[in-house]
Amino acid sequence: MKLLLSITLLIVSSLPVFAQQKTPPPPGPARPLNLPKLTEKKLANGLTVVLAPLPNVPKLSAMLTFRAATNATDRAAHPGIAQIAAGLANEGTDTRSSKQIKEELRSIGGSLSLRSDADQTNLTATALSEFSTRMFELISDVTQHPSFPETELKLAQENTIQQIKAGRADPGFLANERFQKAVFGNHPYGFVVPDEKSINALTRDDLRAFVAKYYIPNAAHLIVVGDIDVEKTFAEIEKAFGSWKGGTLPPDENPPVPVREKRQIYFVNRPGSIQSVIYIGNASIPRSHADYFSIRTADTIYGGSFYSRLTRNIRESKGYTYSPFSSSNTQAKTGSFLAGAFVRNEVTGPTLLEILYELDRMRVLPVTDEELKAAKEFSTGNFSVELASQIGLAGRINTVYTYGLSKTFIDDFRPKIEALTTADIQKAAAKYFDTYHAAIVIVGDWEKVKDQVTPFGEVTMYDAEGNVVKS
Amino acid sequence: MQRSVIKLLLLAVALTSPLCTTTLRAKPLNVPVVYYKLPNGLKVVISEDHIAPVVTVSVYYNVGFRVEPKGRTGFAHLFEHMMFQGSANVKKFEHAKFVEANGGSLNGHTDFDYTNYYETLPSNRVETALWLESDRMRSLDISDENLKNQQNVVSEEVRVNVLNQPYQFFEWIELWKNAFTNWNNSHNGYGELDEINAATIEDVRNFFKTYYAPNNAVLTIVGDVDVAEVKKMVEKHFATVPSQTAPPKADLTEPAQIKEKRISQSDKLANLPALATGYHVPPQNSPDFPAMALLVQILQGDDSSRWYQRLVKEKELTLDLTGGLNYFGNEFDYTGPMIMTTRTTYKPGHTADEVLKEMDAVTADVVAKGITDKELADAKVRFRSNFYSQLESSFGKAHLLSVLALFRDDPNQINSLLTPFENVTAAQVKAAAAKYLVAGNRTVIDRVPETKTQTGQ
Repeated sequence: MKLLLSITLLIVSSLPVFAQQKTPPPPGPARPLNLPKLTEKKLANGLTVVLAPLPNVPKLSAMLTFRAATNATDRAAHPGIAQIAAGLANEGTDTRSSKQIKEELRSIGGSLSLRSDADQTNLTATALSEFSTRMFELISDVTQHPSFPETELKLAQENTIQQIKAGRADPGFLANERFQKAVFGNHPYGFVVPDEKSINALTRDDLRAFVAKYYIPNAAHLIVVGDIDVEKTFAEIEKAFGSWKGGTLPPDENPPVPVREKRQIYFVNRPGSIQSVIYIGNASIPRSHADYFSIRTADTIYGGSFYSRLTRNIRESKGYTYSPFSSSNTQAKTGSFLAGAFVRNEVTGPTLLEILYELDRMRVLPVTDEELKAAKEFSTGNFSVELASQIGLAGRINTVYTYGLSKTFIDDFRPKIEALTTADIQKAAAKYFDTYHAAIVIVGDWEKVKDQVTPFGEVTMYDAEGNVVKS
Repeated sequence: MQRSVIKLLLLAVALTSPLCTTTLRAKPLNVPVVYYKLPNGLKVVISEDHIAPVVTVSVYYNVGFRVEPKGRTGFAHLFEHMMFQGSANVKKFEHAKFVEANGGSLNGHTDFDYTNYYETLPSNRVETALWLESDRMRSLDISDENLKNQQNVVSEEVRVNVLNQPYQFFEWIELWKNAFTNWNNSHNGYGELDEINAATIEDVRNFFKTYYAPNNAVLTIVGDVDVAEVKKMVEKHFATVPSQTAPPKADLTEPAQIKEKRISQSDKLANLPALATGYHVPPQNSPDFPAMALLVQILQGDDSSRWYQRLVKEKELTLDLTGGLNYFGNEFDYTGPMIMTTRTTYKPGHTADEVLKEMDAVTADVVAKGITDKELADAKVRFRSNFYSQLESSFGKAHLLSVLALFRDDPNQINSLLTPFENVTAAQVKAAAAKYLVAGNRTVIDRVPETKTQTGQ
């Protein structure tokens, strides 16, 4: 049989070129990776600086990261303070008004924004490389001297409340919020957005005190990637950030993640919804955990790539959904694994069944050698593509410093992925794709889909505001 | 002699850009372009770039949703999905398998005037992508079962992105329906569910034969490849794909709008009111076009822009401001008539008239007093910076090269595209505002949350 096949191939390939080739061409010899050289330096005040020349266009990108989490230590006293501080830092400094900051950014062809997540506050800025000095000056100003003008604070409070209200009309927002709360409970990672009262309670003094405490150079790292000259850029950074005073970071809190005792359905009722949004998952591991590579690759095979099992099943075979997905989100303290889909009301139950079936199949049976080989190529190939963009490379370097990973992470990525076996994938799935203790979040029209949902577990029902309601 | 020329050039660079040093810096923009046509009419663009071991292969077809048949809204997009359903040597959905198992990513997109398909992958796999693209251009495999499957998938796509969302893309779908009178321009390109599901296998076959021919397409390869080697691969895989009769030229003409159009809509899912406006803009070959593009930048290009500052910051009327000259893309990737769109979510307790009044006050100021030299200079910097960002990735570069080949038969223009924008004067921007930002030239939609009837709990 095998012999016959190769003879056929031989005949085909000896024909003159008029028919289309029947099998994919083999890859050419591997090309050199050309990874940019990273240079790490430290300023006297403790600021870690990492520089990587990637002159693909005459621009540069910078990321400055602080250990100021969305739900940082001050969360009990001031829920949402990290988010509001991040949103307001570029809306006025001791010497620049909000408008002057935006105009300066326009003049240098740049952008500058801050956002906080469960572990960090991250500033991302870009500019034309001819204006790098002005970009660093601006970053330095908004992080060291934000003034939180009263008018800007008031406007931000008002607008944040309205934006959250707008978000509650979006089923994706509701699903994400309920999932974080279901999985992380009272752990800081369970915090998504502050309520109106907390937003309105924030004062200018609170924000100034928060920033003084958390935006400090000795607990920060600055990654710069792009059209740069390492020595010259470092000198510019030294000039802009050298006089910044260090401080002491408050102790971090890390309460235990609640242990889920059984599978549970969290239903957010959205009357009139013509689709059900389904999120199924559980807590997993921190970013620095040794299982990072195996869970990541299990995710690729399950639902994290286009030719994944979940997509082939509920999209290409059954036509239930447009964009089924899964993702492994690993953060500093813990993480989560999540599978999901947006489906029309009529197939809510069948979709739950298939998502759970595919999860269990990953736990019970090993993936095929072909699947694993494809997932490895997918991971390493797309890693190269990611590193070819300024923001992609900066983001990847940022994870190394934010999560305390090995400094050789980028070089080690390929060998670590290559070393995985089908047994490793099954072990990770068995551990983390835990359908029996999963949180199942559904956002949809209860009256329309309740009969399809109740067979899968006990239901707690919520309204769009997050209140528990009677089903 | 040659030496001194080089020296002079270096000096020139150093003078205009004093921060440039000699080590590892980006060169002034000069994208290498090789452009030719195969005998079957396929346009081919190759651009070498060895900064990373990555390549993008794309095929752009000269067909967008404007030209889909009446009674078949959403068909061009549905057809795009069918291009992943298999061909003579690639089974259903295996396109994705081959690309991903070779370390790549892939997608397709249907736009006003083009439909594209692309793969970005490690550069030593370039031939795999060429083989895949040629196979579906030559021999798309169409079955009833796969059509039904993708009708379901696309229906879910429309539900997730339009029908189950607040606002339902009204700043695109509803604005276009009302701003344009020619059905080709005005109809819903995402598609009405019943029309998506009415498509037949004959429709798919005809569309493929009419539009998906090499003489109606551009193949673009950008990245870490050798031009001579890639040319051979292109010849091998595409030279024998048969050409077809050129498709009929669609009528995209649009009568000039004279009177303002105002529409009020209610929204079942939204919690806050929102406003969208659309002004017809001059065609790309009009001398007014570059000034119009910079005017858009000055009015709504970023947080420093005049409309953003007035509405969000000074008057505190609205929460956000989005939009631009081309709803889906840039100044270069369409051919038909276009409107500049603006969308803003306004705060409860205010009215659309209040928002419009402030927008109009801003434009009246530009018409009366013009813009400052600094605003103009900054707008040009911003425009250049955005342009470079588009060129950063191999896909971004492939996109621009492809549309320039597709619509202008000249991808080399990539290296001179900025010039007309750099040459715009403040007087031209002022004149563009006076000519195009008039009420008679616009469509306005006010979309407010449906009043929920209070029911007992």
